[in-house]
Amino acid sequence: MVEQVVLIVAGALALVSALGVVIMPNAVYSALMLLLNLVSLATLFLMLHAQFMFAAQLVVYAGAILVLFLFVVTLLNPQGENILRDKRRLQQAGTISMGLFMGCLLVGALLYAFTNGNQPVLAASVTSPNSTYGTVEDFGKALFTQFLLPFELTSLLLLVALIGAVVLGKRK
Amino acid sequence: MSSITIAMVVSALVFTIGACGVLLRRNPLVQFMSIELMLNAVNLAFISFGGANGSAEGQVFVLMVLTVAAAEAVIGLGIIVAMFRRRRRMDVDDIKVMEG
Repeated sequence: MVEQVVLIVAGALALVSALGVVIMPNAVYSALMLLLNLVSLATLFLMLHAQFMFAAQLVVYAGAILVLFLFVVTLLNPQGENILRDKRRLQQAGTISMGLFMGCLLVGALLYAFTNGNQPVLAASVTSPNSTYGTVEDFGKALFTQFLLPFELTSLLLLVALIGAVVLGKRK
Repeated sequence: MSSITIAMVVSALVFTIGACGVLLRRNPLVQFMSIELMLNAVNLAFISFGGANGSAEGQVFVLMVLTVAAAEAVIGLGIIVAMFRRRRRMDVDDIKVMEG
């Protein structure tokens, strides 16, 4: 019961802060709303028994990516942009109707699929008190045996990003 | 409702809001934040279905998405800073050419 309440509160907070990212006129506020969104999604991860992912989400996203975002926002200091006073009304109306359509379609399909068939629940091996699901041990075993090749390939991706950042940051 | 259902509905809605954000905003920084929202929604979907299966595969893919998001943020912000140095304006509609 408590679990359900925490899930719903964290989910609602995630939705409100996601809307805040889009609507806030100042990019700094958008970044702070993104922080709130990341933290509430991390709470959802914790409620789904993925403890390591909870920590990784906070460290990598909130700790590294968001700080980079805030750094660039404050460095460039762009002027505010109020989408409520934007003149491209047709484009905005199209976007919002597309968003409403897509949201209704996705949620409707999910609820239809989950209420007609048997509703998916967390596996018994996840919720049992002495399960290792979500721990570093379980996660690392999968990462370094079954998924070793994709894991090694991400190092190549990071190398490419590193070289790209150096090339882009170099002054002419 | 089970926790998986709640998480999946939140994931679908956050993805939709992120997609709308990319289309609505003209500031490339906020568009990037909206893309991060979409990536996070996908992460939540991976974790919920991984939990339903009771396997660690969902979490492994979340780690891959996290790596891609970090690389994308570094490159994207680098491009935005380089662009701002040349033009002093932050509007994606102004960018018609990207010659080096």
